[in-house]
Amino acid sequence: MSARRPRRAQGAGVLARVALGLYPPAWRARYGDEVQALLEDSGAGVRAAASLAWHAVPAWAWPARHLHDRPGRMRASLATTGMAWALLAGLAAVFVQLAQAQGSSQALTLARHPVIQGSYWVFDGAVIVSVLAVAAGGLPLWVRMVRDARGADRRPELAGLLAPAVVPVVFVAASTVIVGLARRPGVRVVPWQARPVADLASGMIGPWWFLALVVAGLAAAAVSAAGPAVALRRLRPDGRAVVLATRAAGLAAAAMGLAGAASIVAAVGLYLWAPADAGYHVGWQLAVYLPAVSLAAAVAIISSGRGLRAAREPAVA
Amino acid sequence: MRDRLDRWADPPLLVLASLAEEPKHGYAITQDIAETMGVRLSAGTLYAVISRLESRGLIEPLESGDRRRPYRLTAAGAGELAEQSERMRQVSSVAQRRLRANYGWGGA
Repeated sequence: MSARRPRRAQGAGVLARVALGLYPPAWRARYGDEVQALLEDSGAGVRAAASLAWHAVPAWAWPARHLHDRPGRMRASLATTGMAWALLAGLAAVFVQLAQAQGSSQALTLARHPVIQGSYWVFDGAVIVSVLAVAAGGLPLWVRMVRDARGADRRPELAGLLAPAVVPVVFVAASTVIVGLARRPGVRVVPWQARPVADLASGMIGPWWFLALVVAGLAAAAVSAAGPAVALRRLRPDGRAVVLATRAAGLAAAAMGLAGAASIVAAVGLYLWAPADAGYHVGWQLAVYLPAVSLAAAVAIISSGRGLRAAREPAVA
Repeated sequence: MRDRLDRWADPPLLVLASLAEEPKHGYAITQDIAETMGVRLSAGTLYAVISRLESRGLIEPLESGDRRRPYRLTAAGAGELAEQSERMRQVSSVAQRRLRANYGWGGA
């Protein structure tokens, strides 16, 4: 019993430190040592760790103004919004692949259910607006940071900035090759595969390959967004380009959030109304997709909102 | 339901009331609040409150060589606490008068 207690306290201490790691860097830099001291004095329990983790959410969503200057808040917002937007874009690609791109079953479904058709239109329009907003608002800042990184010979930051251009291309090329191989009956893509990876019934790749490509695609999206996020933090750009990007991020996040909502309506509609043999009645897919889209959209909208609040404030000379 | 009727135990108000006595660091604040007001604040709640109060200029940190940095009430914080206390006193006074008149409750 006595040996168990210190171990439990140690575990709770580790949990509390992990929970502290969930806070924004500026918050940790300012209060981290004090919180550690408080936990040492009062004894860190699971309750303390849970409380810390819970309060990390508002610390990100409504960052204390005395901890961040205006450009810093905009940069932090851009980095977080970019990550959430990339995840939403990846999920949108999965949705397109599973729903809109499935020709024969879609024709039947759409003819019967105008709600799904309407959701598709909203989804398409919102995605186009969102991508245009990212391009219009993000490119000037991106070009400026690339110029700064090249001028200062900062290669890691330059590599990070090139990630959104290079990583998706590499992913698309790799997945094209994999899909091509997986579709060919008789070809073993991996040596330990007992039989060819081909769904002969539909002529498409099997579900495990699809899942692997989805995971790889989401990872590629995360890396594509993480590169510029790290560059933003290290290069610390300021001025009109950051303000423009922040405003565009607000529009992009709102539009992508709308696209996510439309895709949820369509996904639920397909689950309820699609013909039985169309393959849309798998509950766990909805159970994963809905929370993932909702969470990513919430993060993107909250974070871009806090960036917009910072952008509205007058610049300090 | 308990939370809705528990506005007197608003953590920011408790922290301001605790610091009205003297400057204190985090652990001393939680101990004082637990002993004098019967509310136990967790580390997450306490530092969320401290961050918010500091951001609004109602409390300020004092220099400290230790990790246990003390905080003190600012003039704005004292004003805010006085205003909230007066509001609570008014509500308390009305409530006690009506309880005495209608329920025969004598109060403490």
